[in-house]
Amino acid sequence: MTDISSKMSASLETHIERMKQLTFWSEDLIVRKTRIWLEDRSIKAVLFYFDGLCDEKLIYSSILEPLMNRPVLREEDGGEAPDLLDLLLESVLTVGDIHKFGSLESGLQSLMSGNVAVMLDGFAQGLSISMAGWEQRAITEPTNQTVIRGPKEAFTENIHVNAAMVRKIVKYPGLVLKNHTVGRVTHTNVSVMYIQGIADESVYEEVARRLGTIDTDAILESSYIEEFIQDEAYTIFPTIQNTERPDSVAAALLEGRVAILIDGTPHVLIVPALFVQFFQAAEDYYHRADISTLIRGLRYFGLFIATLVPALYIAITTYHQEMIPTQLLMSLSAQREGVPFPAFVEAMIMEATYEILREAGVRMPRAVGQAVSIVGTLVIGQAAVEAGIISASMIIVVSITAIASYVIPEFDMSIAVRISRFFFMGLAAAFGMFGIFIGINVILLHLSSLRSFGVPYMSPVGPFNFSDQKDVILRVSQRSMKSRPSMFGKLNPFRQRHSRSTKRP
Amino acid sequence: MTIRANRCILLVMTVALLWPLTGCWDRRELNELAISVALGIDKVDDKYQVTVQVVQPAEVASQKGGAGNYAPVVMYQTTGITIFEAIRKMTITSPRKIYASHLRIVVIGEQLAREGIGNALDLLSRDYELRTDFFLLVAKGIKAEKVLKILVPLEKIPANKIYNSIRTSEKVWAPVTAVTLDDFIMDYESKGKNPVINGIRVTGNAEIGIKKENVEMIQPAARIKNSGIAVFRKDQMIGWLTEDQSKGYNYVINTIKSTVGHIQCPDGGYVALEVVRSKSKMKAAVQNGNLRLAVDIHVEENLGEVQCQLDLTKVSVIQELERKAELRVKDLVEQTMDSAQKKFRCDFFGFGNALHRSNPKAWKKLQPDWDEHFAEAPVSVTVKVNIKRTGTIGNSFMLDREE
Repeated sequence: MTDISSKMSASLETHIERMKQLTFWSEDLIVRKTRIWLEDRSIKAVLFYFDGLCDEKLIYSSILEPLMNRPVLREEDGGEAPDLLDLLLESVLTVGDIHKFGSLESGLQSLMSGNVAVMLDGFAQGLSISMAGWEQRAITEPTNQTVIRGPKEAFTENIHVNAAMVRKIVKYPGLVLKNHTVGRVTHTNVSVMYIQGIADESVYEEVARRLGTIDTDAILESSYIEEFIQDEAYTIFPTIQNTERPDSVAAALLEGRVAILIDGTPHVLIVPALFVQFFQAAEDYYHRADISTLIRGLRYFGLFIATLVPALYIAITTYHQEMIPTQLLMSLSAQREGVPFPAFVEAMIMEATYEILREAGVRMPRAVGQAVSIVGTLVIGQAAVEAGIISASMIIVVSITAIASYVIPEFDMSIAVRISRFFFMGLAAAFGMFGIFIGINVILLHLSSLRSFGVPYMSPVGPFNFSDQKDVILRVSQRSMKSRPSMFGKLNPFRQRHSRSTKRP
Repeated sequence: MTIRANRCILLVMTVALLWPLTGCWDRRELNELAISVALGIDKVDDKYQVTVQVVQPAEVASQKGGAGNYAPVVMYQTTGITIFEAIRKMTITSPRKIYASHLRIVVIGEQLAREGIGNALDLLSRDYELRTDFFLLVAKGIKAEKVLKILVPLEKIPANKIYNSIRTSEKVWAPVTAVTLDDFIMDYESKGKNPVINGIRVTGNAEIGIKKENVEMIQPAARIKNSGIAVFRKDQMIGWLTEDQSKGYNYVINTIKSTVGHIQCPDGGYVALEVVRSKSKMKAAVQNGNLRLAVDIHVEENLGEVQCQLDLTKVSVIQELERKAELRVKDLVEQTMDSAQKKFRCDFFGFGNALHRSNPKAWKKLQPDWDEHFAEAPVSVTVKVNIKRTGTIGNSFMLDREE
């Protein structure tokens, strides 16, 4: 106790002066003086909070009103003076989340998260009362991971709302939430969620350990955390999944994985993440198994198109013309008459044009959107071909590639695919098919060497696991999804035990 | 970590620098190729005269622009002691190097074929650029070059026309045989069968045939026709089979897919029969030291056309037709066997191979002068015909009327 009182001087005026000093006389720090009436005397009190972070109405009704309008406090209600704070906490303030703080610095820290600090004249400690009530975005539909059938709510920037959305889905006491604070300056709240008894706790411990090693001043988005805690930095493939869908997080938790929620972003990280999971969309589980399986197949097909088609086009048309059916060769050849560039240069020009258009589409102000798309369509769609600079077949190749890269449900993976496309194009231009197959081997070896929080990235394909094949290319019916993925859910392997057939005998 | 990062960067940079060192070696753009679809080989004064038909892609494929201004193909011709030289020499007139992977046909002039084509085919089977699935053809009575000059309707590329008409004709009419380079070499190498090659000729006015006028007419002045089978002994051509004999040949070697034949009715008029299935078996056996050859043919036919008064509802009538059809097929086969044994004294069916399979010891003994033994051996031909269907009507409507 002596320690604390040395840190906090007892006089109210000193409290105020110290607080102002700590915030460098920032003018959005509100200092509200009041008085608490005891039987024989009154004690001066002060409320600190930041303008805009707190719900002012709640301050009036839950703090000021009980303090000021309450009939005189008697000593026997609270006993000795040092316990006056406990008395306030226990029987005066009508608020849920209150805790005592011992130093002004920690009190100040809680103000940043929208708390109100109450301090009394002559008391070393103060009360920090949760009054957070800033303006925030409402829960909206997901903008990136949309579905036709399935829940249509997405995470918001508020970590408390996000955690609540998950807990609302998983109504199970074993759903554990642990708080961490990361960032020397931003003090960003990071919550880690997992389900006790399903998730391997060593994964949580590893997450906590890695979060603890982060030494940076700011965490502004989940990608900051992702880059700090991922297993392998030198890879184009994402080893941590992110989602803006609470149902995806719930599903991941139920598979025995760990979710990391970061304040200030609607993207939640999920670890460990496997290669195949980047091809599983939430909607796969909301439609019937047959169509979901077909669509999965289509996605893997899309992966190959998006990665290899420009490379194959370059390789085949510049090295292996004998592979093209005669009729096709003639029409390709006719289109190339008069095209001044080699196929590789032609492909690079078109890919670059497409990437520029795509980037411009994301980055431009909404108002000029139409202008960019019209120019883009005309330039790459028509003028280039009519001018004879680019062959029409190349336009087809680039378009199908561009579209195919977006059938991959996770944007991170489609970025990886886009990067590897250029790698393959280079190989194709220099070595033809031979180069492409060498490149495929390189990528496969690299993928097999990756791990995500200790789990082999390519499992259950890399280390093959027969029972896990139910959710790789196939999406078997819910009735057959009896066990959790063996990579994460070893502790509690069964989802269902006796699902009886509903067929009539 | 920094050491690892440095190494990583070093590795990436090294690989990135190695990359352009290959300099796109061996690269050819599509518009640098002269896609040749047909090759003609003739012999002129002890030199090979090589003719190629090269596609003008813009003429063949493009939907708009230049189409119609040029011929769809262009011909290049040179002579050389070797064919390889001659082909390379074409660059004195051609702006692009001849690209032969998409070759559909190779036409050999009859004169060269009679002298022997073994040497001419060496390059074709040796060069890596050539597939061996193109058709070999003999230009009947003319130089190969003449065939490759004719413009044809329906197919823009004459070589494609020839290729497709052989395949179609083989499927539905039968007296042609599609022989690829592989087939030829296999037959040439096997001691129990001599090779054959399909023949081709130009009919009509070849002078107009080489002009675009030819395809502007409803009835083209010149046409390219399939014409029977050329028989080879080793690599030398020894003669032609007629159309009937060519059909008989296909009956014997079991390559009939479908064809149409006719038989005469008892009271005049004809009946056309469509062969829908044919199965034959060649047998060669040595009995009491004598070589005997046999051909068993099972044919399944449909009635296709009836020009006489027959009551097709009667089983006996159908049986009668079957018997006649058997005689007809037997006649075709015997004609062919006859010309093989008497005229050519050459086994181009593969009875030798049949004997080799059934009686290797006897084959070893007979093999050195197999063609002589073959020519002297008695042949028994048995044909069994089944008529299965009579089409969408039973009796001819003319018969119904008379009743």
